[in-house]
Amino acid sequence: MNDSELDRMLQAARVPDCPEEYWAQFPKDVVSRLRWNTAAKPAGEPRWFPRLAWGLATVAVCLVAGIIVGRWQGQRESGSYALLQNQKVITEMLSLFPNQVRAIMQDEHGVSLMLSDEANLPPSPPLWVKVCDGKHCSAAVTFSGQEIQLAGRKIMVLADAHGGVLLVGNDFVWSSEEPGSTKTRLKIETRNLGGVTL
Amino acid sequence: MGATDDDNALISQCLKGDHAAFESLIRMHQRMIHSLTFRMTGSLADGEDLAQQTFLRAYEQLGSFRGGAKFSSWLYRIAVNTCLNWRRREMRRRQLHAAWADNSSRQRAEPAHPADENDLGRRVQEALMKLPAKQRAAMVLTVYDGFNHAEAARILGCSETTVSWRIFAARNKLKRWLKPAARGSPGR
Repeated sequence: MNDSELDRMLQAARVPDCPEEYWAQFPKDVVSRLRWNTAAKPAGEPRWFPRLAWGLATVAVCLVAGIIVGRWQGQRESGSYALLQNQKVITEMLSLFPNQVRAIMQDEHGVSLMLSDEANLPPSPPLWVKVCDGKHCSAAVTFSGQEIQLAGRKIMVLADAHGGVLLVGNDFVWSSEEPGSTKTRLKIETRNLGGVTL
Repeated sequence: MGATDDDNALISQCLKGDHAAFESLIRMHQRMIHSLTFRMTGSLADGEDLAQQTFLRAYEQLGSFRGGAKFSSWLYRIAVNTCLNWRRREMRRRQLHAAWADNSSRQRAEPAHPADENDLGRRVQEALMKLPAKQRAAMVLTVYDGFNHAEAARILGCSETTVSWRIFAARNKLKRWLKPAARGSPGR
């Protein structure tokens, strides 16, 4: 089969057509959804304000991270990776960037903050996760649905309906409900920090 | 080639918050976006949902549209990105289901084409769905929507060479999968 034969074959496969009523209704449905959000108005020309806001946010993140790292180093003896279970620290971080924090990460290099581009993350209880692979450990406070890098691998963190925590990696699924049932060499600890409020 | 005068006039009105103008823009472009989202998902329902998401995002980002570009290309770019993001979410969801659900053999619930539709359409769509999403996007843009490699590269946000490579790889696979026309659907 040559390229033109393949193209003919591909083009012969048509998209199933929709009735005219559908095409008449579809734009109305989209606009209804726009109206649902009464504030919906297209963004105007990009302005300097977002850049300034991002600049200030970056400075604030550095300051907060610096303070936290300083406190963390002072408390190392009392147990590394315990910092992210400190309710006050988490509350401060989350209130600084409401609905924008994807994760607060901690590993042997220190603490870092992962922020979403926009403050549009759905509210959910914070989840504390610690993963060790024998050589490296990473801990994070994150939220259900976030994919983060822990101990060198991408892991999706999910909360289940019973307050438990599910971790989904490329080659494993781990549940706090049945921590022993997953065959993985990773050492995993989790905790639902549902009591932490802003 | 820039946006048409019709597009520009409607976009100006949209930027003032005129929803009726946006409805007209949707009417002008809805079929091409639906075709793209269907080809990318293999599902009418998912395609419809992604088409809606595409137009909602386009409305939010309308202020960033530059009149020097074709409005349809700009819209395509949003649609392709929406489809690629959907694909990632869908893969994670399916991975989770496969690991936890006993009925992991249940794959896509909805057939791409109704049972009484022609077999060729179903086979082609199945073959397209087997391609990696970025290769599929490159094929859809060039074969179905008539974009050249340079235009497709701009829409996909990659180099022309990358597009050419994706199309070359995709064509080789499709030829292999679609060759045994009499032997039913492409193998897994």
